[in-house]
Amino acid sequence: MKKNYNLIEMKEINKHFGTVIALKNVNFNVQYQEIVGLVGDNGAGKSTLIKILTGVFPADSGEIYFEGKQIKLDSPKMARDLGIETVYQNLALIDLMSIARNFFLGREPVRPWAGVIKVLDKPKINSTTEEVLKDIGIKVRSVEEEVSVLSGGERQSVAIGRAIYFGAKLLVLDEPTAALSIKESHKVLDYVLEAKERGLSVIFITHNIYHVYSVADRFTILEHGEKLGDFKKDEVSTEDIIEVIRTGRKIEKERT
Amino acid sequence: MNDRKSLTSLVGKYFRQHPECGALVGLIVVFIGFSFTATRFLTADSFAGIVTVASELGIVATGVTFLMISGEFDLSVGSVFGFSAMLFAIAAVNGIPLLIGLLLALLAAAGIGLINGYITVRFQIPSFITTLGALMLWRGVLLAITGGFPVRFWESSRILDFLNGNLWGEFRASAIWFFVIIFLLNFILLRTRYGNATYATGGNKDAARLLGISVDRVKIGNFVICSVLAGFAGCIQFARFCSVDPVRGQNMELEAIAAVVVGGTLMTGGYGNLIGTLLGVLLIGMLRSGLVMAGAPAYWYQAFVGLILIIAVILNTYIKRWSLK
Repeated sequence: MKKNYNLIEMKEINKHFGTVIALKNVNFNVQYQEIVGLVGDNGAGKSTLIKILTGVFPADSGEIYFEGKQIKLDSPKMARDLGIETVYQNLALIDLMSIARNFFLGREPVRPWAGVIKVLDKPKINSTTEEVLKDIGIKVRSVEEEVSVLSGGERQSVAIGRAIYFGAKLLVLDEPTAALSIKESHKVLDYVLEAKERGLSVIFITHNIYHVYSVADRFTILEHGEKLGDFKKDEVSTEDIIEVIRTGRKIEKERT
Repeated sequence: MNDRKSLTSLVGKYFRQHPECGALVGLIVVFIGFSFTATRFLTADSFAGIVTVASELGIVATGVTFLMISGEFDLSVGSVFGFSAMLFAIAAVNGIPLLIGLLLALLAAAGIGLINGYITVRFQIPSFITTLGALMLWRGVLLAITGGFPVRFWESSRILDFLNGNLWGEFRASAIWFFVIIFLLNFILLRTRYGNATYATGGNKDAARLLGISVDRVKIGNFVICSVLAGFAGCIQFARFCSVDPVRGQNMELEAIAAVVVGGTLMTGGYGNLIGTLLGVLLIGMLRSGLVMAGAPAYWYQAFVGLILIIAVILNTYIKRWSLK
């Protein structure tokens, strides 16, 4: 899938909160079917960058291009409609609601009832959710059970499965493996690779360089709101990346 | 997974999906208790009395449930109840057609709900505070414009009969209104996208917002629904008594919240249903009539409601915690 433009291109992004500069002239891009590891210490600006990309708040200045066209995002819904799907660590699913209702939340299929009112198409909601769960390999008694019966890894997987099902082009994962056991992390990582196989691009935000290293094609390192560098996987080792984050030194051979 | 475990988890699942179980048990216990202790409890008139009390409270509690599921709270329903009833009565006494008076009263209630919702969402303050303020404000306005005197309207009218006339024996039209309203809102809650958004907003508003739900609009909408139902219940009660005094509906907010919470709805939002609220208001209605028939002084009513409230919430909390194991 070679195109002459990137899936996402963020140019010269600036953002400050009061007197704090959160992002300074950050350029960031994601190509088609690419997994980008967005790494950096706490407060490096990773979340700020992602929140701009997903329409939570706007940048002070800078441009965003999606599939070659410039876009202006006003809300998370708009980003979602474009095909930018975010899976937040603790905000992916709503615990008190059923798995099926979570799966379709905000995009529920409806059918006419008594010819006038649009009601939730429950059979479709349940059968689709069942299929997707089977696909991922999650076993539950019923998709009408609350999400709280799922493990942390299963939740991440359901959220990723939801993004794939709804035809997302870009999947943004916020610390997807942060609270998971090793075994569960691997399942989620496998599933991230599968998302790529199916044609999605992925931004993988994490502190854990080892998790992202196994799946990413490229790494973007942020520190104090500035980009320290962009590296292809074959150019760097995990130690190199940790060294960059630790010393905060910009690397000269930065890709453009 | 062995059989014993899967059986308990099946029961657990049932409780989890049916928050009203606790209220049902309570209702049965209270019913059996009064059947033995209260004379004339098991008569049609007695049931009619229970249903009449439960219906007026229930219409208010239905709105409170809806709002509570979306994570907010309305303490002003008692004042809105009184305010709308008074507006309706004053309009009637001044020769304004009853239908127009009714619409005015409902419009005023909707306006109050809109203001409550807007202030809560816009300034991000707890709805407990917004609506506590509204409770005092509108009660104060009510007392000020009436000078503390009741308003009576003795003419009979088809509209008043339609709102709350006698249907059969002591059974009144309010029961029908209540069942229609609770059925309709239950349908919206469980079968429509708006209902789903209501659960999501109360369950986790940040997650819901990120999933593209306009949580502020959902909240404001539910404030309006809650307020309009409170106002409507006030008008219905006016149709029963043909008079309204400025303290009408006082403490009703607490009774309504008690009924909702007894019915298994979580104060923190995201969980609950209207079947529980139906059982909750029936329980409270039954207590009110039953205690009188059992010969207990009327003062005991409040004490019992308080007791049942606490027991029910303890039970509901335990059932929920256990069912999630």
